[in-house]
Amino acid sequence: MEILDKLINVALIAATLRTTAPILLVALGGSFTTKAGIFNIGLEGQMLAGAFFAVIGSIWTGSAFAGMACGVAAALAFALAFAVLVVTFRANEVVVGLALNILAGGMTISLMKAIFGTRGSIVGHGIVGLPKVQIPGAQALLGSWAPLVSGFTPIVYVAFIAVPLLVLFYNRTRLGLYIRVVGEKPEAAEALGISITRVRYIASLLCGLLAGLAGAHLSLGYITMFTENMSSGRGFMAVAILIFSNGDPLKVLAGCLLFGFADAFSLRLQTFGFPSYLVLTVPYVVALTALFALSYRARPKIIKETLASMQKLLSVDRNSSPVDKNPQ
Amino acid sequence: MSNAPGSPTLHSTAAMAVELTGITKRFGTFIANDGIDLAVRQGEIHAIIGENGAGKTTLMNILFGLLQPDEGSIRLNGEATVVADPAAAIKAGLGMVHQHFKLVPSLSVADNVFLGMEIRRHGLIDHAAQIARTQELSKRFGLHVDATERVGLLSVGIEQRIEILKVLVRGARTIILDEPTAVLTPQESRELFQTLRSFVAEGMTVIFISHHLEEVMEVSDTVTVLRNGRKVATRQTSELSKDELVRMMVGREVSFDRRPRAALHGDIVLDVKDLWARDDRRLPAVRGASFAVRSGEVVGIAGVAGNGQTELAEVLSGLRPASHGEAWLKGQDLTTLSPAAIREAGLAHVPGDRMVRGVDRNASIAANTLMGRQHRAPWSHNGLLDWKAIAGNAGALIKSFDIRAQGAGDAVKRLSGGNIQKVVLAREFTNGADFLLVDQPTRGVDIGAQEAIHDEIMRQRAAGRAILLISVQLDELAALADRILVMFNGRIMGEVAGDDADEDRIGMMMAGVSPQLEPA
Repeated sequence: MEILDKLINVALIAATLRTTAPILLVALGGSFTTKAGIFNIGLEGQMLAGAFFAVIGSIWTGSAFAGMACGVAAALAFALAFAVLVVTFRANEVVVGLALNILAGGMTISLMKAIFGTRGSIVGHGIVGLPKVQIPGAQALLGSWAPLVSGFTPIVYVAFIAVPLLVLFYNRTRLGLYIRVVGEKPEAAEALGISITRVRYIASLLCGLLAGLAGAHLSLGYITMFTENMSSGRGFMAVAILIFSNGDPLKVLAGCLLFGFADAFSLRLQTFGFPSYLVLTVPYVVALTALFALSYRARPKIIKETLASMQKLLSVDRNSSPVDKNPQ
Repeated sequence: MSNAPGSPTLHSTAAMAVELTGITKRFGTFIANDGIDLAVRQGEIHAIIGENGAGKTTLMNILFGLLQPDEGSIRLNGEATVVADPAAAIKAGLGMVHQHFKLVPSLSVADNVFLGMEIRRHGLIDHAAQIARTQELSKRFGLHVDATERVGLLSVGIEQRIEILKVLVRGARTIILDEPTAVLTPQESRELFQTLRSFVAEGMTVIFISHHLEEVMEVSDTVTVLRNGRKVATRQTSELSKDELVRMMVGREVSFDRRPRAALHGDIVLDVKDLWARDDRRLPAVRGASFAVRSGEVVGIAGVAGNGQTELAEVLSGLRPASHGEAWLKGQDLTTLSPAAIREAGLAHVPGDRMVRGVDRNASIAANTLMGRQHRAPWSHNGLLDWKAIAGNAGALIKSFDIRAQGAGDAVKRLSGGNIQKVVLAREFTNGADFLLVDQPTRGVDIGAQEAIHDEIMRQRAAGRAILLISVQLDELAALADRILVMFNGRIMGEVAGDDADEDRIGMMMAGVSPQLEPA
């Protein structure tokens, strides 16, 4: 009981919110492309580019927010390249996404070598991290619960506020509606004079914006450094969440909280002297279990269609042979 | 102004909603519309009727701005208009309900109706206002839908109502419907006709495309008949009889270019007894068909498209279950067999829609001539395909069937319609099957290839095959068939010997008039 108390406490929940933020932001970004009917596997690369250029920008300008803007600009450039290749030139989404991911990985390593002459990571060099927002009165009102709402970097707040905003966006704004229509029934959009190309470009760029913020959070948030492959699969986790949530903001939030919690929990377990190799598997075990449970309900389309057609076949047989077929 | 349909005094004074003059549209060398004049009065229901390929949809697509005419002019409500695109058509008060619906399944009915012209308040979509307006319109015109329901959960009939609501919300005064009843049950069709009458009662104009005589007679004030891209006539529906209409549709000048033949009638190969089948809407489409086909005989099936011919062909080839009855082919009941087993039993099938069921358009000629017999020698040995033998065989077929292609490796999609059909014939007619089911063999095929296909069918007859030839072209049946059976509404109305095929008698039966009532 005592151990449980030490394991699960306010600090763990606050840590969960912190670790959830980057994956939530990148997944919400991916929600735009998912809803617009683009399978965007390039989230990982956009995030990584965002993290790297946020650090570069922060060093050059000496400002964390200017650094964040640089990171977002880099992610937008990747998103634009993705849109040009996929939307305009109709290249295969998976191939382009993978290529851009590899480009981001390689480019950050070579630039690191070229600019700083090092491999592995950029530390120091005057990187300015994002400030923590202390909400006035939180301590007085909430006491020991205050860390749940106060003391995060601005990007964490942005990530969680974005969820209800996206719900509103998809249900009540014209652009949100058009993004859904373009993804679900492009021929309907076309018939009504909605430009599919334009909507998909906008969705791709909105995705780049949030992926860039997520990257800036990684390198300027709680640790102010850049390391090789620092996004470490979060972009792919976001893709997995998007597949099972179909890009619905609330379901995306639920999936991201699960991953964030597993991440924070495993960090916690390490401090209690559990073997670190086992502890590091926790997020992946949770992820696999969750995806397995979800996939049972949200079966991929192809399985659903196969089942449906088999059912149809069986029901036709049943109707035709014994019931009204009646050979003399 | 429309309360007295068919009354000539009103016609002369009523204004014209639509006037098309000399509309011509060519696709390559094919003339889809040839100098068509069409005048639609305000406040009438105007039916446009004709066989598949008569040019109905092309004409309406020109009116709605989806196609531009090569020649001719358009006047809307008396004003000369260039309909550059659908947006211009909608602005001019036209609305079109297409055959294929374009609705978004996850959105509500109201969201779909207002898609592209949302009602907004403070920049946000006002769902309540959209729902209220949708409900108001649906009540006014008897288009019963629940505006809040998700479209993905609704039936096709209701989807059509939503498409009509979309057109109404955009302020259409003239509504074009392209084969609206093709997807409806008879009950839904009757409700649709009620709605169309309520439009006319409010002074709106309805143009509807159909190839169903019944419904044209029931609901329209005026009917225009198209055939082979030309206008045959525009007449008051009340002054027309059904069989007059049929004869206008299928043509008076059936050319009796009958192929010479020797009597060869042998044993019964196919024996169909009281066969019934349902269509995709689960309605009876074939109702108690009984007939036999002997070896060395071509039996033709005539009828206006959509009277059960397609379903009959699908049952005989195993693609659709029979709901009752038998079809015996050489001692086996086809209604109990799979398509593969039916082919083994001795059926060769030239399907009506060759691009869907006849060929794989992306595959080579060689692969297409192989399909269905890939497991047999000489095309394969020990489970492995012998591509040398396959290509050699395809080369021989290209020669003997005169397929105009560069070689056996050519993708089928690069051939013309006639040559694609020859690929199908080459495969099916060299299978050694005793029974040939040939459905619309010359649809969309140029005259030269038509001749060659007819020659080939006669060669198969001379070789003692039993042939069932389904065609909507009377002259084709008159040229080839030994006997012609006429289908109407799923039943076989009667039989005419090919030697004295008489288009009046066939036309009567195609319109549903039983031959017994006629003096012989």
